[in-house]
This record gives sequence, C-alpha cells and structure tokens, in this order.
Amino acid sequence: MGRYAIRRLLQLVPVVLGTTFIINYMVWQLPGDPFAGRCGQRPCPDSYVTAMREQFGLDQPLLVQYWNFLKNLLTGNLGTDFNGVSVASQLGDAWPITIRLALMAVAFEAIIGIGAGVLSGLKRGGFIDNVVTLSTLFLLSLPIFVTAYLLQWVLGVQLHVIEPTVTDAATVPELIVPALVLASLNMAFTARLTRTSIVENLRSDYVRTAVAKGLSNRRVVGIHLLRNSLIPVLTFLGTEVGSLMSGAIITEGIFNIHGIGGLLWRAINGQDYTIVVPVATLLVLVYLISNLLVDLLYGVLDPRIRYE
Amino acid sequence: MSDPTATQDLIKGADDPAASPVTVRDSQRSLWRDTWDILKRRKIFWVSLVMLIVFLVMAAFPSLFTHKDPEYATLAKSMELPSSEAWFGYDLQGRDVWARTIYGARTSIIVGVLATLATVLLGGLTGVLAAYFGRWLDAIISRIGEMFLGLPYVLGAIIILGTVAPAQSNPGKAMIMAVVIIVLALLGWPILMRIARSAVIQAKHQDYVQAARALGAGPMRIIFRHLLPNSLAPILVYATITIGSFIGAEATLSLLGIGLRSPVISWGIAIADHKDYLRTGPHAMFFPAGFLSLCVLTFVMLGEAVRDALDPKLR
Repeated sequence: MGRYAIRRLLQLVPVVLGTTFIINYMVWQLPGDPFAGRCGQRPCPDSYVTAMREQFGLDQPLLVQYWNFLKNLLTGNLGTDFNGVSVASQLGDAWPITIRLALMAVAFEAIIGIGAGVLSGLKRGGFIDNVVTLSTLFLLSLPIFVTAYLLQWVLGVQLHVIEPTVTDAATVPELIVPALVLASLNMAFTARLTRTSIVENLRSDYVRTAVAKGLSNRRVVGIHLLRNSLIPVLTFLGTEVGSLMSGAIITEGIFNIHGIGGLLWRAINGQDYTIVVPVATLLVLVYLISNLLVDLLYGVLDPRIRYE
Repeated sequence: MSDPTATQDLIKGADDPAASPVTVRDSQRSLWRDTWDILKRRKIFWVSLVMLIVFLVMAAFPSLFTHKDPEYATLAKSMELPSSEAWFGYDLQGRDVWARTIYGARTSIIVGVLATLATVLLGGLTGVLAAYFGRWLDAIISRIGEMFLGLPYVLGAIIILGTVAPAQSNPGKAMIMAVVIIVLALLGWPILMRIARSAVIQAKHQDYVQAARALGAGPMRIIFRHLLPNSLAPILVYATITIGSFIGAEATLSLLGIGLRSPVISWGIAIADHKDYLRTGPHAMFFPAGFLSLCVLTFVMLGEAVRDALDPKLR
C-alpha cells in the first residue's frame, strides 16, 4: 500500500508538469496578444507592450518562463494581476466560498443521488425506478447553465422564493439553489451508478446467503448490499470533485458568487491572464489530487483490490 | 433470405460449411443483427430516432419550418412576447425567435457531429496504436492523454479559446466554428483513446487475431480488418452520447463569450445574447434553450438505447 502510494505520487509529477506546461503555453504563447484591449479602444503603444512583456517575463525563452512559474508557484508567490492586486489575496477571499459551494453540491449528490439510486435499484422496473430513470435522463440532457437560468427565473424572478443572485457573504441558505444546480448533472450520474451497482449486487451470492440466513431485510440491504454497492459510487463522487470545480465557473458566474469560478469568469471576460494561469493551475492540482486520494481510498474500502 | 431464425442458421451452417462468403454473412447472426433485433423493440429508440430525423431535417432544410428570414430585424418589435404572428416572439434586435431557433439547429448539429468525428478519429487512432504496439508508444500516448484529462473540460476550453479567440475579437464565421470544433476534439480525445485502447487490448489476444498473425497478416490488415470492427461497439455508443454533450458544450462556450459568436446563428449565441434580459423577455432565451436541451436529449437517448442493445449483461 505504501509503495503503491509513493509510485502513484511519482506518476503524478509528470502529469502535473505536463498539464501546467500546457496551460502556460496556451495562455502565453498561442497567437493572440495578451495585452490587447488593455488600452481601451486604441491599440497599445509599443513602449507599453515592451514594458509589460518585460514585467511578466515574456521576453525570456519559453522554458525559462515555465521554470520561473514553477519556482514562484512552489514558493507561494502568485504575483499580482494586471491591476497590481495580489493574486494570492484574491484567491484567499474566493476559496472559502467555492469550498462551501462544492461541499454542499457533493452532499446533495450523495444524499439525493444515492437515495434515488437505491430506491430504484431495489425495485427494478417499478414505478420509482421508471421515475428515476426518466428524471435522470432529463437532468443529463439539460446543460448546467440551462438548469441555472431556469431555476433563477422560476424561483427568483417569478416566485420570489430566492434572491436571483447571491450576496457577497454567500451564506449557506443562499447557496442551496446554486449548489443544487452545480450538483444536478453528477446527481443523475450518481443515481444511475448506484442503481446499476445495486442491481448487480442483488444477484450476488453473499446477498443470497444473507437472505438465506434469515437476516432481516433492513440488515441485508443496509449492511451487506449497500456497503459493497457504494464503492464505485464513492469513487465517482471523489473523482468528480475536480470537475465540480470547473463546473463552478458557470454556476458562480450566473449566480454572481464571488468564488474561484467567479474570479476566473471575470478574469476571462477582462482577459487578465495573470489570474487565469494560477487559478487554472490550482484547479488542476485539486482535480489530480482528489483523483489520487480516491484511488488510494479504493483499496481501503475494498479489500479485494490488491495493489502489487 | 428474408428473416431466418437462429435454428435455421445453425442447420444451414452445419449443412454447408464451405458456403460462399456472401451466404455465410447472410446466415450469421452478427452483433449488429442482434443489436438491431433488440433496438427495434425498444420504444425509446423509435422516439429518439424520430426526434433525430426531425432535427436533421431542420438542420438541412430550415426553410421547411419557417418562411421568415432569421436575419431580418425590426427594432420596433424588440423583445415582443410570443403571439399568433410570431410563435416564439421577437428577440432583442426584433428578429423572429422561432426562425432563429430553427436556423440555429444547423450550426449546433454541425459543430456537435464534426467535433465528435474529429474526437473519434484522433482518439480511436491513438488508442488503437497505443494498444497494438504497446511498450513506449503506449506509455507516451497514455501520459499525454492524462495531461489533457487533467485539464477539466470547461477550464481547458476557456484557456485555449480565451487566448486564440478572446471575448471581444471577431474571427470569421467558418474560422470560429473550426476553432471550436478543434478545441472540443482536443479536450475530448483522451476518453475515446482509453475506450478504444481497452477494447483493442481485449481483442488483441483473441484467437482470431493470433490466427491472422500466423497467416502472415501485417499490422495494418490486423488493425483495420480485425481489431477495429470488433472494437467498434463501445466507440459507437460513446460517440453518440458525445454528440449530445458537445452540442451542450458548444452552447456553454458561446455563453461564456469565447465560443461561436454573431453573425453565426446558434442556440448558444441566442442564449448568451439574452441572458441579461431574463426579467423582461425570458422567451428569447428559453425557447432556444429548450430546443438545445431536446437535441441533447435526442442523442443521449439514442446512445443509451444503442448501449442497452449492445451490452450483453442486460440481455
């Protein structure tokens, strides 16, 4: 187990380097002027562009730039944005809100998704099963921003149940609807995955044994069936934490939440790449690390899986 | 031969083992034949097929559905609500929402289909190569795939498109569509590469591949005649669902202002143009959004029907 963890950690290094390199390369090196639009309606004077290129190190060779970026990242120096505001302080303000939103979304996914999946899996072909299958199909085909605008309009504009946008404080009750929106797609996947897993395990020998032993229905389902069926679901929930973060870009933008996603949304609209690069890098790191943790957790949860 | 039953096939096969290739193909119960038999009994398949045909006709001949010009704007009618004259009302520029929604189908479907095609070609090819040749080629392709997978979808697209075609710029119609298609394919290929790779790895050690190799078939012949046809099922299922999700992704990117943009007519652009007018004219946004969702639903349903039919576990 220890050796496996170390090997996985080592394998992560080239992927992290590669991904961050791709991000850096794409943002700074692809055709397109990173300083276009910084001088209002007229094109920027050459002296300004030269000064800015020097300030952000764009006059140096590509690999030197990348090396400097890595060095700064490791020493926690994220630099300042084009307006001279520290990127680290902006991140510090935004993180707690996004983490709150993501945790709430994961909680919704787990509770509603697993609940619906278990109910429909236990009574395969029944009424609840059909309802769940249809509603997950429905959720899967609604792009996340359509769900967001629909709920914002129905609940916020028409029924006045919620405020259409979230205040700066972003308290838990305010975040309920955005978190539901953020969770909607994965909720559907979770429900389907749970259902398949339950249906498969219902036919397994250990469940038959448990029933034959005369255990109560509740015990068979709660102890024997659920524990084994939820392993793939937990894996899914874990690996999707990272993509949840990038889904937050849309949700936070629509509901005007000042989290990481909202920061990125505004940076993209303002073409401020000094924010885009560190934020994107951090999101990628979260994504990769959560994947790694899930892989390691897998072995703990399911003793049948051997690493060596 | 009209529709032979399984028993007849068996008898025929036993009677005449040296039948000509044509007869053999006819009497075989192939995977595709089985799939079709299952598919045609599924209601969800027929529903999605009908919806698919409607959308395809809409994309090919939009003038069958509307006589109005989607570009014709009457500013006096800006944001007018749906009426008998204009079923879906008018948008911000006073253009007919129904006409624009119909004409939007073409762009969205073209982007979805072409991006999926590019993904399948790129991912399928790299996956087959990685699995067939293995060793260092496999390692390199898999690692590169992981690097792109490490980039969450929306994020990756934002980074690339935000640089190549920033929000305020206006590249040409064909150019921006090409860029969006390339970006979608670039970020989508690793998943398909993995599917193709694992399918080929499974098929690689089957007896028929060993036999082909023993008979002296080269790598090209083995890959194209033996491995690919037998690995096609999972790729096909994934591709169908991917068309739907790419159509949704295109709209998402357009919404962010970095995907397609005017003068292209697409559902994503219509939604992006009217997202700030939710209070005064929700119709200008929700009708295109509804068509978009229906179109995604069509491909998701079709993909699921095909998957259920191809998946032997559920039989």
